[in-house]
Amino acid sequence: MHTALDISASALVAQRARLDAIAGNIANMSSLKDETGKVKPYEARYVVFQTDEGIATRDGAVGVKVSAVKQETVPPLYKYQPQHPLADENGYVAYPNIDLNSEFVDALEATRAYEANIGVIEISKNMAAQTLRIAG
Amino acid sequence: MTPIGALSPALPPGFASPATAAKPASAEAFRSFLMGSIQEVNGMQQDAEKAMNTLMTGGDVLPAEVLTSVQKADLSLKLLMQVRNKLVAAYQELKDVRI
Repeated sequence: MHTALDISASALVAQRARLDAIAGNIANMSSLKDETGKVKPYEARYVVFQTDEGIATRDGAVGVKVSAVKQETVPPLYKYQPQHPLADENGYVAYPNIDLNSEFVDALEATRAYEANIGVIEISKNMAAQTLRIAG
Repeated sequence: MTPIGALSPALPPGFASPATAAKPASAEAFRSFLMGSIQEVNGMQQDAEKAMNTLMTGGDVLPAEVLTSVQKADLSLKLLMQVRNKLVAAYQELKDVRI
């Protein structure tokens, strides 16, 4: 009876994770080192979704879950800053190659998807309330 | 006119028709069904409360999940109340039968 709600909730969680990844990408757009402190410009991370058989109706409708968080592999942006402590022998500093435009479009898409799932929850809720009217 | 019994039920295959699903083998079966439903609703309420507590005490849980479980608990409670109202109404009806 509540599987539709569960499926929509799983989508909310997934879209939230996607937005978290985007937030991380934008937050780290100037990070020159990785988690271990090694000099390595940040690479954009994206979450990959997959269907979740754990939340399924008997008709085969399934929920969604985060399958993995993948790192992008693009060449970094080189800026000529010979005075920079992290500059290489040619005087270039490697900066993360984050495309703000596509990140924002992604964020907008995640937000809209979140909204859409809220809408579906609303519809499921109304349907359940209408069903109760049969007995009332 | 087609008798009601001859009409095919408007339910998809694989979906138990109410006549077969709700046929109580005995009073005991209905009682256990009722108690089971009450326990299920109670469990949902407890889940919702636990999730709410986790959220309010700063636990790592998304508000969307918490609110969904609260909504689920609310819906199942409403359904249970409808069933209960129906039962009470049936009892009142029978109580007023003159012998």
